[in-house]
Amino acid sequence: MTRIITALALFICHMAFSQTQYEQGMKKALGLWGEGKPTEAAALFERIALVEKDNWLPNYYVALINTTEAFVPANRDKVSALLEKAQQAENDANMISPNNPELMVMQALIYTAWIVYDPQSNGMKYSGKTMEQYYKALALAPNNPRVVFSKAEFEIGGAKFFGKDTKPMCAQVAKSIELFATFKPESPFHPNWGLDRAQEVLQNCNTK
Amino acid sequence: MKTILTICSLLCCLVFQAQTKISGKLVDQKGKPQEGVNVFIEGTYDGAPSAADGTFSFETDAKGSQVLVISSLLFETIREAIVIETYKSRSFTVKSSANALNDVVISVGSFQAGATTKASVLKPLDIVTTAGSPGNIIGALQTLPGAQIVGESGRLFVRGGESDETQTYIDGIRVAQPYGASANNLPTRGRFSPFLFSGMSFTTGGYSAEFGDALSSVLLLNTIDEPDQEKTDISLMTVGLGVGNTQKWGKGSFSFNTSYINLEPYQKAIQQNVDWIKPYQSMSGEMVFRRQFKNGLFKFYTAYDYANFELNQKDINYEDPIRVAIQNNNLYLNASYKGNFGANWTIQTGIGYGYSLTKTDLDSNAVKDQENAAHLKLKLGKKFSNKVRMIFGGDYFTTDFDGSYRQPSNEFKTGYTSGIGALYAETDIVLTSDFAVKAGLRGMHSDLLGTSVLEPRASLAYRTNKNGQLSLAYGDFNQLPKQDYLKYTSAFEPEKTAHYILNYTYNPNGRTLRAELYYKDYSNLVKYNTDLPQYNSIYTNNGSGYAKGFDLFWRDNKTVKNLEYWLSYSYIDSKRDYKNYPDKVTPNFVANHTLSIVGKYWINDLRSQLSVTNSFATGRPYNNPNEMTFMNGKTTSYNSLSLSWAYLMSPQKILYLSVSNVMGKDNVFGYQYANSPDVGGQFQRQAIGQAADRFFFIGFFWTISQDKKSNQLENL
Repeated sequence: MTRIITALALFICHMAFSQTQYEQGMKKALGLWGEGKPTEAAALFERIALVEKDNWLPNYYVALINTTEAFVPANRDKVSALLEKAQQAENDANMISPNNPELMVMQALIYTAWIVYDPQSNGMKYSGKTMEQYYKALALAPNNPRVVFSKAEFEIGGAKFFGKDTKPMCAQVAKSIELFATFKPESPFHPNWGLDRAQEVLQNCNTK
Repeated sequence: MKTILTICSLLCCLVFQAQTKISGKLVDQKGKPQEGVNVFIEGTYDGAPSAADGTFSFETDAKGSQVLVISSLLFETIREAIVIETYKSRSFTVKSSANALNDVVISVGSFQAGATTKASVLKPLDIVTTAGSPGNIIGALQTLPGAQIVGESGRLFVRGGESDETQTYIDGIRVAQPYGASANNLPTRGRFSPFLFSGMSFTTGGYSAEFGDALSSVLLLNTIDEPDQEKTDISLMTVGLGVGNTQKWGKGSFSFNTSYINLEPYQKAIQQNVDWIKPYQSMSGEMVFRRQFKNGLFKFYTAYDYANFELNQKDINYEDPIRVAIQNNNLYLNASYKGNFGANWTIQTGIGYGYSLTKTDLDSNAVKDQENAAHLKLKLGKKFSNKVRMIFGGDYFTTDFDGSYRQPSNEFKTGYTSGIGALYAETDIVLTSDFAVKAGLRGMHSDLLGTSVLEPRASLAYRTNKNGQLSLAYGDFNQLPKQDYLKYTSAFEPEKTAHYILNYTYNPNGRTLRAELYYKDYSNLVKYNTDLPQYNSIYTNNGSGYAKGFDLFWRDNKTVKNLEYWLSYSYIDSKRDYKNYPDKVTPNFVANHTLSIVGKYWINDLRSQLSVTNSFATGRPYNNPNEMTFMNGKTTSYNSLSLSWAYLMSPQKILYLSVSNVMGKDNVFGYQYANSPDVGGQFQRQAIGQAADRFFFIGFFWTISQDKKSNQLENL
């Protein structure tokens, strides 16, 4: 009896442990990112990605962290390297999960980072590609708040530049905030960012 | 249950307690610590990036034999078998991988326009936005060092070479007739619209063994692999109109571009120096079909062009002007495939076909030239490692030319068929991350001349510091004599040059400095003994010549915000004894000093780009038969200041204005002298000048794309 219990305990333990290995890893990586350690976080996500070969999320975060870092002005000299890394992870994630609207938003963000880095030479080149990603994503997931918000935010940039009215985009941002309220990520580790940013953008819309 | 949990937590604790610390240090080959490299145990999450001092340290609960992986984009991945229990902290040396961004790249003599390559000096958009060259690929390239300004031709003259010493390639396949038709001493334009091309590489010497039958230069144009989006482009210009459309589906896409140009309204409005009877008009179209396969990309490119015009051209030898009427039909097809297969093999293959028919009426005489030309290509590449790559392949070029010259009473016919077979192999070896070698050999056989030649090519590149690089190149280049001679006889050897080039490139972020010293040794140049090449001239290969000089290029996109500018300067000393020259002299297309300054300034508030181009060249030689010494005259210097303004009306509408030669300088390219002296014993002359003092261009470009449509829908 004791032997069976021990074996069972070991088995459950093992199950619990291996189940939580992924969760622990992801939690730890997200934690590192939250603590302002993007290099460590990205490195851990990369290692998780190498083990969890059928899961697009670790690669998604590798792309997201590197792209976010590329927007930081202090990293200007590293932008090419960061975005290349992000693109590689994005490509790997796309292989695992094709036609994923979250990954389309990610791809659009990578293009946007290229535009911000050198608007004169990349503006024309990537604006069309960026919008193409948003349209594809919107067709697949019209109620995904990140799709609605990111597209509107990108369009606000363009409209401001051309002196156009930003009201329709601001309305989309407001709509995305409603969508954020009801959005349920599939797991604690699925993308769930954007609400605070959307509120910030909406505030700018209203103060102007 | 409690027991189970207790045991469980105990076991878990045990597991955690059994963690082993793995630590060490990463340095590169020079002993410099490496930061941010991911170090981990394969198959686990356990690992850490290395710190600023190169050290890494992490804990793992893995046991026994494991693989320690050290991985980063910039280095070759290290996989070290270790036993966790006996692992001792140690140091690892990482080797930079040869595909790393900052590796030494051989780029002697070549100017690239593209988005990614390090050797890029121009962006694709520069071709469109450079003042003085509205949409003309060749015009923009003429602002680069090494290219001569030959205003009456409009073609590319590179480093003391004639215009036909440059070969043009699209997607690796030769274009036999790259220029539009033009009358004597009137400039032509490149045939190809810059919008369909994503990158180009203009080499001014020392190029790869992949290319041959060109003495001076090759111009490589690559069509867009995958268009951004579906769209329709409409252009309305003072000289005509154009429509383009792109469609995308699954793995394929299709783009076309078509335009109708008619200079009549423009030339009615603006005073011309040429007496046009029927101004230039053309109908042209290009299309590209692309299909993506699992391991490759197939492209089919077609261009069609019909042009005609008629003018009265003054000739010093006749009182009345000569009526010149030209009609040109041109078709170019090109199918290519590039892809990879097997273990690191690449393949590039294709076929190109060009057809050109030009009918020229000179008063009551008629000249008809018809050419069929084809190119078959196969190139294989193998990457043996990150350090060693090799390419090899073969080309077959065939040209069939038929010409006729009809006078009211009789007709002369000329013609030839030429086949050239070539085989080549070239290898790239990266010896260290700072030192690379490329060596190649090309063998070429001409059916028509019955001769074979071998052409060795070699280059070395040495990186002097993070942003600087020194390169050295040597190569032998042979080319069949030009059509003007081949149509009368084939008793020739190929003409030959040897190039020696020393290049220094300094490439800090946002700036580029290139300095090149070169020497070109020409031999076997064709000579003849009559005023013009004729069927009864005596031809030899006894000509020779040289060109030596210095090219400087500086581009700065960084110093002043929103300002991009480049400056190119060329010094050349070149002499030739060819054609019917009595001596070795500087030919009439060579100016000793050429300076181009191109600036583009972006005004954000006006959403406008202002562009300025100033081209300057010292005088060019001309032959004055009134003087004893051959080719002793020199024209005054050339200068042209051009301005353009591009205004972004909305994301999809662009208004473009440009003026060439704003100052209206009356540039003289040379003189035509009478064939015989007048009663006073003097040879009279007339200047060869510009077709018009200035050229004005206004265009409106409108893109209608998917997002615009959707935008309007959303606004409703």
